[in-house]
Amino acid sequence: MNLLQSLEEAIKKGNRDDAVKNTKEALSINMPPKDILDALVRGMDDIGRRFKINEIFVPEMLIAARAMKESIAVLEPILVEAGIKPEYTAIIGTVQGDLHDIGKNLVGMMWKGANFNVIDLGSNISPEKFAEAVLTHKPDVVGLSALLTTTMPMMKNTVDVIREKTGNAVKIIIGGAPVTQDYADEIGADGYAADAASAVDLVRSLLVSLPG
Amino acid sequence: MDGRERVNRMFARRDHDRVPRFDQPWKETLARWQKEGFKGDSKAFLDWIEADFQFLGHLIRPAIYKEDPALIKEDFFNPGQFQKIREDELTHDLRDPFGATVRLWKNKSGTPEHLGFECDSSKVWHQHFKPRLMANGIQINLAKVKVDYANSRRAGLWCLLAGVETFEYLRAMIGDEVALMAMVEEPEWIEDISRTLTDLQLMNFEAALETGIEPDGLWMFGDMAYNHSTVCSPQMYKELIWPDHNRLADWAHRHDMKFIYHTDGNINNVLNLYIEAGFDCLQPLEAKAGMDIRKLCPIYGDRLAFMGNINAQLMGTNDVDALEEEIATKFAAGKAARNYTFHSDHSVPPQVSWQTYQKIMRLVDKYGRY
Repeated sequence: MNLLQSLEEAIKKGNRDDAVKNTKEALSINMPPKDILDALVRGMDDIGRRFKINEIFVPEMLIAARAMKESIAVLEPILVEAGIKPEYTAIIGTVQGDLHDIGKNLVGMMWKGANFNVIDLGSNISPEKFAEAVLTHKPDVVGLSALLTTTMPMMKNTVDVIREKTGNAVKIIIGGAPVTQDYADEIGADGYAADAASAVDLVRSLLVSLPG
Repeated sequence: MDGRERVNRMFARRDHDRVPRFDQPWKETLARWQKEGFKGDSKAFLDWIEADFQFLGHLIRPAIYKEDPALIKEDFFNPGQFQKIREDELTHDLRDPFGATVRLWKNKSGTPEHLGFECDSSKVWHQHFKPRLMANGIQINLAKVKVDYANSRRAGLWCLLAGVETFEYLRAMIGDEVALMAMVEEPEWIEDISRTLTDLQLMNFEAALETGIEPDGLWMFGDMAYNHSTVCSPQMYKELIWPDHNRLADWAHRHDMKFIYHTDGNINNVLNLYIEAGFDCLQPLEAKAGMDIRKLCPIYGDRLAFMGNINAQLMGTNDVDALEEEIATKFAAGKAARNYTFHSDHSVPPQVSWQTYQKIMRLVDKYGRY
């Protein structure tokens, strides 16, 4: 097994010590930072695939995401130096009226693991704050989370305000326990993700065909 | 036939007159219904639906910061003492009885935002939290348990003790992220928390029995799943938490009590483990997470009773025709197995009008008779 394969394996196993050690070792022998990044992302993609089919569960996903995060912390300065940017920029938050944050946090972790630049606005975020963040950070995608049936309607308000204040360029996706694809269609969102791993695939599918 | 006999017969899969009933509206739902014509409080609501169950005392959840009996509230699920840290117009940040800082709405229901946990490592657990928990000892309000028991027997209701189990306790005390990662990396810590909590729960329940009461059931609350699946693998559950679930069920059975387990989410992958642990009944069986008693009753109906599964989101559409289909088909499955109790698949949200809920109860009457 070569060094990059070991790195990928360390991510899959959630072994943060090995992940950081392999990342440092790869950098010390001047491996291209993009190759190192690709190995990390391959590891997390495998985690996402196995999570979706219930081969692994949230604990394994969390430790893999943490290993990825610690490796990225080592790699990031080199990526910046080399002019390698995150694949996409994403804003995420729980809609106004909803304080629940666990689902949002899991999606944020998986997006970071997929090499997205993630701006987490937190919970109970007003439509105006989402729109302001879109204007400030110019993300490729916005993720809206809601746990409660009573706060779902705020997703529609948020979609409306973002569209009104920033136009149609940014993709908006939604998720959360009471949310469905039908609801996403109804409120004019671009997509719905049933779980954190699917949220990665959804963003890629929405953005891959767009001109850069 | 009173509620106690009805529920006992349901658990024995023997003939009974109608499907037993229980349900829980949000406080906002109750407030809406009061404006729309319902007269009374949550107790009056249970009387109105002719609920067959009654909790004894409060939800038992051994606290780090011992709850002052003088500050015990009448809220069954949140009886405890909170220390205010910050507030604004709409929310307040409170330190809860488990050493967690949570943000809650001041005037409405909702899941709290967890801001921090005092117990964030096994070291803190062993040095501070575990000793303090053990020292706090019995926290059950025995006087209230006795009064509630006497009332339940007078009313002919099926009465139960209730507490939180390990998954819920982990979430409350150390938070999901630390708890779930520790299941992989420090399983002995999670086992120790689970064992300690369960010992304390059983000590409280024993103290309740020593007052001379003879409850019909033990109901443990804990969310171990979400829409997609269980939060951890069945194997991890079996190794770390299941032994204590098994102990709780065994304890209940030794005292001629049935064991009811509450968890949200999709639990299809652990139903056999529940049966092996000795669970008698599952609640609330979230429809939106893929739980469906029409599929479960023919397979598990002889070994598990089911309470709930009536889709609360569907209730919120106020579409009475769709609700009739929901109730008719699910009641048919439950009645065929003689193992079913009516309850929403979580709790009744405020989108449900009083008029709709009255129609729901007419359908429960219509389809719930044997």
